[in-house]
Amino acid sequence: MIIDSPLNQWILDTYWLWPVLEIVHFFGLSLLLGGLIIIDLRLMGYFRSLNLETINNLIPLVICGFSLNLVTGILFFIGDPMRYSVNIGFQIKMGLVILAGLNTLFYSWKIIPALANWSVSSDTPISVKIVGLISLSAWTGVLVLGRLIPYVGTG
Amino acid sequence: MFVWLETTPIAQLVALSLWAYPALLSLHIIGLAIVVGIFSMRDLRLLGIAHGVEPTAFISLGKLAWIGFTINALSGILLFTSQATIFITSIPFLLKISFITVGMVLAVIIQARLSNLLVDDRYINSVDRTTRFLAAISMSLWIGAIIAGRLIAYF
Repeated sequence: MIIDSPLNQWILDTYWLWPVLEIVHFFGLSLLLGGLIIIDLRLMGYFRSLNLETINNLIPLVICGFSLNLVTGILFFIGDPMRYSVNIGFQIKMGLVILAGLNTLFYSWKIIPALANWSVSSDTPISVKIVGLISLSAWTGVLVLGRLIPYVGTG
Repeated sequence: MFVWLETTPIAQLVALSLWAYPALLSLHIIGLAIVVGIFSMRDLRLLGIAHGVEPTAFISLGKLAWIGFTINALSGILLFTSQATIFITSIPFLLKISFITVGMVLAVIIQARLSNLLVDDRYINSVDRTTRFLAAISMSLWIGAIIAGRLIAYF
């Protein structure tokens, strides 16, 4: 269905497109991880001088990075579906993206509304630390597994 | 000298071991996410995006960026040894190293300028034109480093 579709052919035939997509994917991951590293470490109780409410203003940049990588990622997949769909690294990576997404939903529904109740430079409750740890671990796993796709086999 | 470097036991390990090269690439992308992640948040903030974040928040985050830089300097040197003669004649590689060097020098300068904001509370949220200019150059350098780094594989 995807193979031999016009988009699949265009991605394969446009010799400069793949490196451009890779570059955008790398910049996107920098925006995504850059914001999340700061927010997640603060959630885990590090960098307590940072005000958790104000650093949440980085979230639009995180979403911007995620969107860039969603679009470029879909184009990678359409360009070479048989390579990615059977790759164990890709499969686990997608599982971790979903886990991180659910964790983010929990953060925005349960934790952001409660932020106003905390003093600016206080420690965080254990439940919040766990949310930060899950986010940071899941995204680190996404990075590493993405990098390992060319080196691991089919699953 | 670079020929000799490739014959050292550590270079041989990186080049011939099944896991060493992918493991170093994994470390290298984690370091990239930390360094370019933190610096792009800082530079975009100084350029006026996510202006709800205090510019001075990035002072304490500077040391985190240096941890990422150390991870990538070490993993990068090891990756370099395995194919030193190829990398040292690669134009994208040499550009990447130049961009990173200037980017780290700018990081020190920007860090000092942000610390000056703390001296007087009235200026804590104001970013002067020179600092904004330096942030624009810095952001361009890190994007340039990503572009050049990706292109090493293609030229």
